Amino acid sequence: MRPTISLAVSGIVVALALVVIEPARVTGQSDEFDSLVVPVLKGTCATCHNDRLASGGLNVTSIMSAASLSQQRPAWEKVLRRLRAGDMPPASVARPSQLPSMIAYIDRAFERADAAAPADPGRMTAHRLNRNEYTNTIRDLLGVRFRAEKYFPADDSGDGFDNMADLLTVSPLLMERYLAAAERIAAWAVSTAIPSKAIEADYRARDGRIRRLDRSTIEAEHRIEFGGEYVVRFGLPGERPAVDGRDAAPVTLGFWMDGTLLATKSVQTKPSGLVYFDPYSEEELKLTLPEGDHVFRAGFIGDEFVKTLPNEAAYDRRKNKFLDAIIFVGPHAPAPDKESRRRILTCDPASGRACVEQIVARLARRAYRRPPAQREVDALMRVADLGTSSGQSAEHGIQLAIQALLVSPNFLFRIERDPDPRDPTLVHKVSPFELASRISYFLWSSMPDEELLSVAETGRLNEAQVLAAQVDRMLADPRASEFAANFAGQWLETRNLDSVKPDPDLFKEWTPQLRDAMKTETTMFFAHVLRENRPITDFLNASYTFLNERLAAHYGIPGVSGPEFRRVELTTDRRGGVLSHAGVLTVSSYPTRTSAVIRGKYVLQNILGIPPSPPPDDVPPLSDSAGDGNRSMREQLTAHRANPTCAACHRNMDPLGFGLENYDAIGRWRDADGSFPIDATGTLPDGQRFATPGEMRALLVSQLPQFSRTLTSRMLTYALRRSLQPYDRSAVESIQRTVAADGYRLQTMIREIVASLPFQSRRGEDAPLVR
Amino acid sequence: MYITRQSLPRRTFLRGLGTAVALPFLDAMTPALARAQRRKPPVRMAFVYVPNGIDMRHWNPAYEGRLAELPQTLAPLAPLKDDVLLLGNLTHNTGRALLDGPGDHGRCCGSYLTGVQVKKTVTNIKASVSCDQLVANQIGTQTRFPSLEVGLEDARQAGDCDSGYSCAYTNNLAWRSETQPLPPILDPRALFERLFGDGAELTPDAKARRTLYRRSILDFVSDDARSLRGALGPTDQRKLDEYLGSIRAIEEQLARAERESAVDPHMDKPYGVPSDFSEHFRLMTDMITVAFQADLTRVVTFLVTREGTSRAYREIGIPDGHHPLTHHRNQIALMDKVAQINRYHVEQFSKWAAKLKASQEDEGSILDNSMIVYGAGLADGNAHTHHDLPTLIAGRGGKFIKTGRRVVYRRETPMCNLFLTMMDRMGVRMDNFGDATGHLNGLDLA
Repeated sequence: MRPTISLAVSGIVVALALVVIEPARVTGQSDEFDSLVVPVLKGTCATCHNDRLASGGLNVTSIMSAASLSQQRPAWEKVLRRLRAGDMPPASVARPSQLPSMIAYIDRAFERADAAAPADPGRMTAHRLNRNEYTNTIRDLLGVRFRAEKYFPADDSGDGFDNMADLLTVSPLLMERYLAAAERIAAWAVSTAIPSKAIEADYRARDGRIRRLDRSTIEAEHRIEFGGEYVVRFGLPGERPAVDGRDAAPVTLGFWMDGTLLATKSVQTKPSGLVYFDPYSEEELKLTLPEGDHVFRAGFIGDEFVKTLPNEAAYDRRKNKFLDAIIFVGPHAPAPDKESRRRILTCDPASGRACVEQIVARLARRAYRRPPAQREVDALMRVADLGTSSGQSAEHGIQLAIQALLVSPNFLFRIERDPDPRDPTLVHKVSPFELASRISYFLWSSMPDEELLSVAETGRLNEAQVLAAQVDRMLADPRASEFAANFAGQWLETRNLDSVKPDPDLFKEWTPQLRDAMKTETTMFFAHVLRENRPITDFLNASYTFLNERLAAHYGIPGVSGPEFRRVELTTDRRGGVLSHAGVLTVSSYPTRTSAVIRGKYVLQNILGIPPSPPPDDVPPLSDSAGDGNRSMREQLTAHRANPTCAACHRNMDPLGFGLENYDAIGRWRDADGSFPIDATGTLPDGQRFATPGEMRALLVSQLPQFSRTLTSRMLTYALRRSLQPYDRSAVESIQRTVAADGYRLQTMIREIVASLPFQSRRGEDAPLVR
Repeated sequence: MYITRQSLPRRTFLRGLGTAVALPFLDAMTPALARAQRRKPPVRMAFVYVPNGIDMRHWNPAYEGRLAELPQTLAPLAPLKDDVLLLGNLTHNTGRALLDGPGDHGRCCGSYLTGVQVKKTVTNIKASVSCDQLVANQIGTQTRFPSLEVGLEDARQAGDCDSGYSCAYTNNLAWRSETQPLPPILDPRALFERLFGDGAELTPDAKARRTLYRRSILDFVSDDARSLRGALGPTDQRKLDEYLGSIRAIEEQLARAERESAVDPHMDKPYGVPSDFSEHFRLMTDMITVAFQADLTRVVTFLVTREGTSRAYREIGIPDGHHPLTHHRNQIALMDKVAQINRYHVEQFSKWAAKLKASQEDEGSILDNSMIVYGAGLADGNAHTHHDLPTLIAGRGGKFIKTGRRVVYRRETPMCNLFLTMMDRMGVRMDNFGDATGHLNGLDLA
């Protein structure tokens, strides 16, 4: 049917045949290979991985010599991963006794080979700040709150992260937005205009200026131009009728800014008793709001009443009272001076050009994250001079210089230099300033602060002790929460909570508050393990977590009241570790139901580091999206595994997913799925059996080295902003050894990554010339 | 307390673009618009891409030739059936695995307009210049925006996109170079400000100053980038070249903006992204319509939602994710839901096409003078097939395409043949494109 396919298959056969006939180079380790490896390959592996079946694309005849360890390195890496994870040989096949010594031998062989090869740190492509980094950098540079997410097109991601340097490009659209943003930001940073009157900004449903998140929650994006005191009013049409002779209960109106609850207020929902055709009331709160782009949300907390309403009654003014407007009036007492002006105007620009130059040079040093050359300051001064030469003020000139700084490639990109950019053999340490930025964008997703820059300026940042002290300081800084949000949010995929949409008919409990609570739990948990330098075993199985009343109720844990999050000790083994976090369980489900396949894949990929191979060309992914009312999901999946092609991967995936079946598609505990009682028995890829989620987690802890290697690889990818390459193996292994020796502590992993060769060094490039 | 209203009373202009019979913005044209109308109307080209394939049971009619009764998915186009051409058997061979293994979603979207087999990688991406950009590069200087890229779904997603393919392949349709995809605008407000300005009313003096400042700043950064470039390795140089290329594009845009007055679209500036899908679709296409009318651009790519998306369509009572649904294992109940989503998309598209048809200019309507391809990079989303891709063209491309028919080509006819022919019609003559074997004959034959 498709000639290309048969061609492809024969192509593989040809390639393998070529490898086989190539004479193997005899190496010193050949004897050991013959005694430790060959018997296993021939006796166990060749049953499936032979000329005829080549299961999983592997034919052992191609790796039957010591020389193949170097010639077929990627294939051997894969074999090693599977052997270590224990999923090969499969549980149904007897485990040869030489297996451990074979694994140790391959490990040693790789180490020897890596030690003999010249160390290769790879190179980091010029890194354009992503939206998140831009937002943070603007905040730290100028004290201006700007939400790049609102103004810039989305960044592409790859290898699981949105900070991969190769993918961050500058399109004309983005450049246009950069220029516009620079104009706005520079004006906000420097301008003094404070309104003499309060301004009203209204966000009403009828104008399409609010978003409805659910029946009792609305959201509006609003920029507070001037920090100060505001009256925030809420429009509340409708009324709730009495039920069984009892008046409708009051509700608690909550008001959030950027996900943080600012204030609550009790609101009556029963008919007011006044005679009018169109019931409507307003409530107001008096609040001090900070300058900047914010997302404001108003909603009724724990509103049980709306869940009982049919769809057509949700916005019926005789049947419900609901929110439909947020109105800001202010500022009534504007802040006298802006943080940004205090930060930027360190002298009086009207005093003359010397002051302007001082300000511009100081800003350039921070914006470029290194001391600017005099030539660069001169160029900026030519822009700044336009202020006075065009009949405006010197201060306006500073505003223009800021505008220029913010679109300079030296600001938008982090560009590292090589002594010879075209010599791939020339390995060198990055400069102290480049190192400072590598660390700050790794741990803070933002620019280096003054202290880090000053240390870089002394030239001593490369000294191990100085560096360690800086890393410690930065991990203790509140900005390290960015690492928890960005690294953990992508590694554990909880960032997708923003886009998942559980079916509201099936999951009436799903609200924006619950979604935020789920995110907060995982982020706080990660931040805690980080701050307290806990062992990474906590991620797999911890006896504590972080909850507020809403999430505790979701988990059925009593004794937690109020919207604040606090540490809660877990007294049963129903919860513990990230795999029992509702957010993780939600992002690994379909909108209407759980998926043992997705969850199993999640565990293999993000915890054990052995992502299943994608389904073969002609076989679409086995989907369990479709309910078959007569059989449990487990039965349906078991039937699918009767197909050997599917079984190769699904026998690893599905049983791990089964272990999480006690949690529904939004992470609630359940003992039955519809009419089917939950059967949470399953196996790890190495065949160890478990019967409950708690037992599964305990077994996962026994895979700690494997998990640690996975986490190290993920974190190193995030830190280096590039996919890991074969030559990074020795760095991963050496980090891994130190982390293991130190009780698998999270901070140790971070320190070791910062101290590693690829983080500290780079080299030239062996790519063809452009143009 | 003094209160001044910040929200503009501009909504008096126009209440509900969608409800009025004629487009209100057609009534009062700006001078720029009027100028554009006196010339022979230009030909426009657009690509509307829907993800995850289409349930072909309800797409392909049982007949060829003149369009009669339309299958269920295409039924919303019934009032416009004389204005569309349905094309059968077009194939994208480069969407297939060839030697690259799994990843049909990543591959089919990456290859759709580029016509090449994209590099299988999660980070160091490589495709080719897409056909819309080849056209934009050549004729784009005649309009303020060489091209527009729009979409409806946010790309921000953790985890992998498709089996070893970077999300860049599924988030974007247009490629400016081998390594530079062009991200779509998703926010109607952002598109509005891009097309019609931010609404700042400046005195002539202030405007002149702003132009002076912008020019000086662009000069400053170009110098910066050029002085950096020399000391860098090839990959970093490429990054800076992308940056410099974008700066040049902005310079041209600014120069043009100075010569021409801003277009007044006579519509409210939208407030962010509406939560309703059809409203979002309507806002974006309304603005593209104005952009076509005022000749702000002639080339548009529209990625309706991301390839491989799991978006649920609760608007039409479908709570399941789109992608999981397409792996329906031939269960009729699930296939019907896929078909419902397909039809819902076509319905939105048909509303846009109807507006273009209602917008008269010299020598017919805007639709008459456009070629709008509506299609997908997969046919059967369950089996990931790349042949007989669902493809239709709305509009006649200015007396070029004979519409109102279904034409079925020989099996395995390259999709790139169609694109090559369309580029030709746009005035961009290429010897070859992607895996094209020649031009697509028969677009103009009865």
